[in-house]
Amino acid sequence: MKSQSPLNKIYKKGFYGDFENKNEENLIKIKEVSNLSIFQIVKYKNSRVSINDLDIDGIKLSEKINSVTSKEKTRILWFGPNNWLVVSEDKNLFHKVNKNTKETDFAVTDLSNSRAIIEIEGKLIKEVLKKGCPFNFNELNKNNCINSVFHGITITIDMIEDSPEKIRLFALRSFGESLYHSITDASLEFGYQSI
Amino acid sequence: MLYIKCPYCGLRSQNEFAYGGDGTVKRPTLNKEVSDKEWDNFVYNRKSPRGKHVELWHHISGCRQWIKVQRDTVTHEIFKTVSADKEI
Repeated sequence: MKSQSPLNKIYKKGFYGDFENKNEENLIKIKEVSNLSIFQIVKYKNSRVSINDLDIDGIKLSEKINSVTSKEKTRILWFGPNNWLVVSEDKNLFHKVNKNTKETDFAVTDLSNSRAIIEIEGKLIKEVLKKGCPFNFNELNKNNCINSVFHGITITIDMIEDSPEKIRLFALRSFGESLYHSITDASLEFGYQSI
Repeated sequence: MLYIKCPYCGLRSQNEFAYGGDGTVKRPTLNKEVSDKEWDNFVYNRKSPRGKHVELWHHISGCRQWIKVQRDTVTHEIFKTVSADKEI
């Protein structure tokens, strides 16, 4: 069976909104990211294991709130107390981690097919997000992540780069289309390019 | 709009939270005889205080943890927030 990306029916490449007479470099760039391995790791309350003992693609889990630890292909997002989201280009990582963790200490759940991911890039992306998300984006820096809402849709925001600003938005797959429409609607004012 | 300081994530908008009711209600002790009135009080009867009140909130669009919030029901001022397993 062939897998289909969550936004494959609505996502079209091109220039939209107020893009005319503007430098292409300065436009907001929006794209769908698919084919990533996404899984959640939860450490059980009664587990005595130290999270420092767990090595995921050479990265340790971090207890620092709203932080992301990363390496070339993998990013680990702090999701809550004893709760992390792993996003990786390595499709076998889930099986490796599942094999290396004890069932009595950690719950590892594959979410690869249940999330829609939108990547937005550009100087004005925080202005776009401010339109629908109540978070104070002045506090969001590189390698920070937050869970919040955008026009009522629960989202995860992962700040990948800060120069130029690049952010990944995660939403439940079934909310992907609504989120895409909300984000593109909010971007029309600045002009955006779907890549 | 309220801004609630989640003990795990920091200051966040009320939009990210779901109200969880009175935070002072205690479940009757397990394996002990419970009268109809005690059970009724636990399940249905709630006070509607004017002033400081301890409430449960769920950071449902954030870290998904339950927290206790001490809030003034008149001014909506929030005095203190702690994780759900702690007492205010």
